[in-house]
Amino acid sequence: MTAPFHRYTSRRGFQRRTESTIVWFFRFATYVILLCGVFIIGNICLKGLPAVTGAFRSLEQFPYVTNTFIFEAPESLYVFKHEGVKREMGDAEYRAFRETETARATAEGRPVPEFKASSYVYAAGGIWPCIVGTLLLVVGAMTIALLLGVASAIFLSEYARDGAFVRFIRLAILNLAGVPSIVFGLFGFAMFVLYFNWNVSLMAGWFTLAFMVLPVVITASEEALKAVPKGFREGSLALGATKWQTIRKNVLPYALPGILTSSILGIARVAGETAPIMFTAAYVVRDKLPWEVAKFSDFFFQGVMALPYHIYVVSSKIPQNAYTQRVQYGTAFVFLGLVALIAGSSILLRNKLRGRYQW
Amino acid sequence: MPPESTTTSVVESSPPSFRIQKERTQLLGLTLDECIQGFFGGNALVAVIILGLITFFLFREGSGFFSQNRDNLSIYRLAGLEYVDLGRQPDKDHAALSRYLSDLRRRTYQYYMEEEGLSAKEAGGRLADFDVYADRFARASAPIRSQLMEWGEIANDIKARHLGNQNLAEKRRQLLAAGKTKEAAAVGILPVNFAVEVSAITATLPAYEEATATLARSLEELILAPPPLPTVELTARMARFQTLTRDFIASFPATLESMKKWDASVPVPLSQSFTAFIFGRQWLTASFWQDWYGATPLIAGSMLVSLIALALAIPLGVGAAIYVNQLASPLEQRLIKPAIEFISAIPSVVLGFFGIAVLGEFLRVASGWSFFAWIPGFPFAERLNALTAGCLLGLIAVPTIFTLAEDAINNVPRAFKEASYALGASRLQTIIRIIVPASLSGIVSAILLGLGRVIGETMVVLLCAGNRIAIPDFTAGLGVVTQPVHTMTGIIAQEMGEVEPGGIHYRALFVVGLLLFFIALLINYFAQKIVRKYKVSIG
Repeated sequence: MTAPFHRYTSRRGFQRRTESTIVWFFRFATYVILLCGVFIIGNICLKGLPAVTGAFRSLEQFPYVTNTFIFEAPESLYVFKHEGVKREMGDAEYRAFRETETARATAEGRPVPEFKASSYVYAAGGIWPCIVGTLLLVVGAMTIALLLGVASAIFLSEYARDGAFVRFIRLAILNLAGVPSIVFGLFGFAMFVLYFNWNVSLMAGWFTLAFMVLPVVITASEEALKAVPKGFREGSLALGATKWQTIRKNVLPYALPGILTSSILGIARVAGETAPIMFTAAYVVRDKLPWEVAKFSDFFFQGVMALPYHIYVVSSKIPQNAYTQRVQYGTAFVFLGLVALIAGSSILLRNKLRGRYQW
Repeated sequence: MPPESTTTSVVESSPPSFRIQKERTQLLGLTLDECIQGFFGGNALVAVIILGLITFFLFREGSGFFSQNRDNLSIYRLAGLEYVDLGRQPDKDHAALSRYLSDLRRRTYQYYMEEEGLSAKEAGGRLADFDVYADRFARASAPIRSQLMEWGEIANDIKARHLGNQNLAEKRRQLLAAGKTKEAAAVGILPVNFAVEVSAITATLPAYEEATATLARSLEELILAPPPLPTVELTARMARFQTLTRDFIASFPATLESMKKWDASVPVPLSQSFTAFIFGRQWLTASFWQDWYGATPLIAGSMLVSLIALALAIPLGVGAAIYVNQLASPLEQRLIKPAIEFISAIPSVVLGFFGIAVLGEFLRVASGWSFFAWIPGFPFAERLNALTAGCLLGLIAVPTIFTLAEDAINNVPRAFKEASYALGASRLQTIIRIIVPASLSGIVSAILLGLGRVIGETMVVLLCAGNRIAIPDFTAGLGVVTQPVHTMTGIIAQEMGEVEPGGIHYRALFVVGLLLFFIALLINYFAQKIVRKYKVSIG
């Protein structure tokens, strides 16, 4: 016996069932997205982690431990059979091995051994130049973008009166945010690389990336400035400070943490984009590290290797097989880790700051 | 010394006991504060300036394309390449008919093997007559083919000499500019007289006419006695083949007519250079015959990939936004929102790599499962195609759509919801009849911005879309999604590194970039317009 329905209770009928079906659809959509994200990240982490953890080597001198995948330059991988043993070696090691084996064979009076190696370009060694290049690109681009963006945001939030001029600027910022990244790449190539004749260089990459991320920085900074209560400004002005003194002493210090944390999302974007640096700053391969330059000024006008571009190169220009998998997944993993670190810290910081500033 | 303003001099005329106003530093008649304001205002203009610079440089590099393409098309006409291509049409049609025959042979072979259970050798023996027939059919076009070959060589030679002359003229110009008059005079240029040279081709039209007549005769003879085929269905196909061949023969006079009417001296208008770009069906570069810069395959590819992405991203993104904002528990809300934001931080090149390494192969294998056999185009053999790229682009569009749609839903006043509940509507009725309509314009603009994100995305399509420059075959129905395509963004990224700055190919890529730029602006414009309307409706 079930209790009789009260006459105001809704009954389990057709409507109820459709309702719960549709609710389940919405829930399903949400979790499908999350699952996709988790699967992609999990896949790359699982297959990429061994490339990093398997590359720790002990050292004789100070740091005593190093990671060949992170701290070495890319090399070609040689796979060959020698005396019945299958070996995989990086470029330098392979050459040394060949020489010693040849020397040994001649000393023992045996015929010189033949080496038939199949080579896989970029598949050995590490990705140190790419990490360095990416960091340099990010630091330079974000410096430029923050200088321009914060100044721009100060004008929009502190000085500007609503009018045609400001509306025009806001429209430009909105539109700039929608411009595809490859168009920024084309623009940077035409203006910096060819017209200014900077060639493929850090400078060209910095400006291209800075211009691309500018709308993000401006919007984030403006929000942070707007979050500072009006009373702070009014109090300062009432005490006789000028507008600039007010902004410098009483607005910017309180807005700065907000500006920086929100701009970290911009950093993630700068680090993650490939298309704008393809023709402006990135080299497929470069032997020298960025600080190995003859003149100081050369530093700014040299191309660099970059992680995202390296991923593009190793995933499209070399075949997919067991030997190349290490560098492909390893690079993707390190890169994803770097971006996740940046994005995660921004989300954490923001949540923390939201709690701290309660005026 | 700074110029003194009138107010200070007035104050100074009577000895001040109390000065409230500090003397301000002035620069070019502006106070320091005004200077600072000017500095920040100037910085705010940066966005405007950058937008202007992008437009300027894209136009600067791209604008030369249309005149260069016009030259390109002019040479095509002047050197007689266009004439030869007119003559090639019957040969191409004939090749298509031959393919129809070989398809018919494959079907018949399959029938013998599967339905009658014959061995490969027996089936081949039964098809011996058919093979002889197909062979005769294929050989029938030999006379016009040899004629076309001859013409092609002449036309190519004219073009090559003309281009060589252009190079020499450029060399002479450079020498003159360097002041080396003697060397410049030594550069001998033998001008090409197009009218005379091309007449070598047009004069042999009677021979070509003769060849088509021979072709027509031999084909008519062939279609009268087709080889017998085992089933009704296959015989019907053969009958269809006969009609097609008759149509083909009937098209000869029109071809010859157009060749007779062809006139090399008709100039190529500049408008044709535009239409050849926008509506051109071929993007063919570094070809030994003729380069074509037609953007249709690229635009179609971009559209196809974006449509697939949106078809996946709209239900997922909007559904998730509704769920998180209206139905989820507070804990879910707190966890899901940052998680989806986090997905948006996955770099697109990593997603592209994932597509190459995992998703492409997975989709190819999955398409072979009998469970999916009903879907047209399944199973497919290409690992990288529009579907692979579309799925990943969908994942890129989801966070954009989700975040903006969630904002829009969040902006619906609480009173709407409460009023709906008070009237006795259920939770779902409130969502579907009240919340979604009230935030619809925000959702639509979120979808538009998602589209903008997808169209402009480069790395995923470059890595995963298959990069085949051809208009997708939309007659395949839904199966079109399994074809490899090339996109506007992909072609720029792929070819920009290999072209010579200033050349026609370089400029063509900039025009594609310009097109992309304007598409992005247009999408943005509509998204903003819809949002503005939405503000009014809630009032």
